[in-house]
Amino acid sequence: MRNAIRVIPFLVRLYVKSRLEYRGAFLLAISAQFFSYACGYAAIWILLQKFETLGGWDWPELALLFSFQLLAYSMGAALSFVQFRDLEELVRLGTFDTLLVKPFSPWAYLAFSGLNIGYAGHIALAAGLMVWSVLQVGIDWSLGSALYLLAALISAALVNAALITMIGASAFIFVQSSHLYTIFFGFWELSRYPLNIFPAGLQWLMITFVPLGFASFVPVAHLLGKDIPVLSDLGGLAAPLAGPLLVLVAMAHWKYAISRYQGGGG
Amino acid sequence: MYLAFASSAFQTQLAYRGQVWASLFGSAVHVFAWIAIWMSVYQDTASVDGVTLPQMVTYALIGGPVLTAWQWRRLLNLVGNSVTSGDVAIYLLKPLRYPLYLFATECGNLFYRLAVTGLPVLVIVALVYGMLPPASLFHGLLFIAFWALSFVIMFLIAALCGLLAFWLLTAFSLEWLLQGILMLLSGTHIPLWFFPDAVAAIIKLLPVAWVGYHPIAVYLGKTSVTETLIYLGLGLGWALLLAAAVSALWRRAALRITVQGG
Repeated sequence: MRNAIRVIPFLVRLYVKSRLEYRGAFLLAISAQFFSYACGYAAIWILLQKFETLGGWDWPELALLFSFQLLAYSMGAALSFVQFRDLEELVRLGTFDTLLVKPFSPWAYLAFSGLNIGYAGHIALAAGLMVWSVLQVGIDWSLGSALYLLAALISAALVNAALITMIGASAFIFVQSSHLYTIFFGFWELSRYPLNIFPAGLQWLMITFVPLGFASFVPVAHLLGKDIPVLSDLGGLAAPLAGPLLVLVAMAHWKYAISRYQGGGG
Repeated sequence: MYLAFASSAFQTQLAYRGQVWASLFGSAVHVFAWIAIWMSVYQDTASVDGVTLPQMVTYALIGGPVLTAWQWRRLLNLVGNSVTSGDVAIYLLKPLRYPLYLFATECGNLFYRLAVTGLPVLVIVALVYGMLPPASLFHGLLFIAFWALSFVIMFLIAALCGLLAFWLLTAFSLEWLLQGILMLLSGTHIPLWFFPDAVAAIIKLLPVAWVGYHPIAVYLGKTSVTETLIYLGLGLGWALLLAAAVSALWRRAALRITVQGG
């Protein structure tokens, strides 16, 4: 553990330095992502100018949902997405073996040696939009609700990181994982919108087998006092717990998947 | 010869059958989300600005699986990577024109994507939610012309951005910028008739409007016969202009490669 505390900051520093080597390209990339997500939100804003609400949510409420979803995702994905998407390649080429012989957790090595600061654009946009929407929505903020928002955000980031890790680890078993990421992002896109606009079956799915509901809709709906399908009152309590719980599941899955790893063919 | 490239691209794609299920799912989820959005906002009203829910469901079905079947991102990255890495030099040695070669292979890819994801998703989702036929025979026939034009313009925009990577050294940023512009302005998701009038009047003249908005507006009969023909002419004009830009940019890039080549 002491070892890890010394090594992790070092790994992160190495990676950040290598990314900032091409500062111009880096800044252009994060600005482009900022712009792209902003355009997506602007499209819904234009829709709301005509229709006023979407599933009973007005613009500031939706802005809170969008920013929560994006902030939680970018925090979780910075720790996991690119690293575990590329794990498939490490497994295929057999280079993952070099991580197994290091006196360090392979998960932590992958996660932190690639801690993706490229999500800065996502985070800047999401944080800005969140500050604006927090001041606009009709919530009487108290210490309790502010702490709840923070806890739910951390939990939601963990939900994202845990799911992304689990998909990446499936490369140990199936060698391929990229198709599962396509499916993940399909559901992720749905989790941007109020869950109640979708058919009941899908609402149920999003809080059970694909628990992305906990990474956006459930906590935000609880803060805004909206109805939560399936869970109703339990939803508020479940949101901050979902992340830590999924992390445990992901850890068990990681262990199992690694035990199935047989090295790259050839 | 170029026809052979198109069919070869089609067959290459056929080899990656594992991708099919994932992209079928991705495409279906996307169109499904937009249909859910339209159903939700239309819950209490039958028509907004003279547009009904069945029309918007049809809009989502054409804007989704049909008009975005072709993956412009792949082309942008392909061109971007091959010009920045210098791999493109191989094509300079061959007796062919690189942009035309790309166009031929992408036609093959378009047909492949339509056959394995676009049309199946369209049929399945249309059976569940219903889809309107074209407003008239004229609009139906013209839609096909606009559809082809939509692909050509999108191909040219993606190729242009890919070639720009030769100078900007990053296809990644251009991809994201273009994605944002398409999302907001092309009308594949939000029809321009829901925009403020003054803004919509300007966007209607931008080339991206021919990627999504104009083809669907024609299908739904939102444009009169003369308007349709005028927009077809304007769209062809944009296509020619973009083609000239791609060809000029390609020539300059090719020249720079020759100068650099060692």
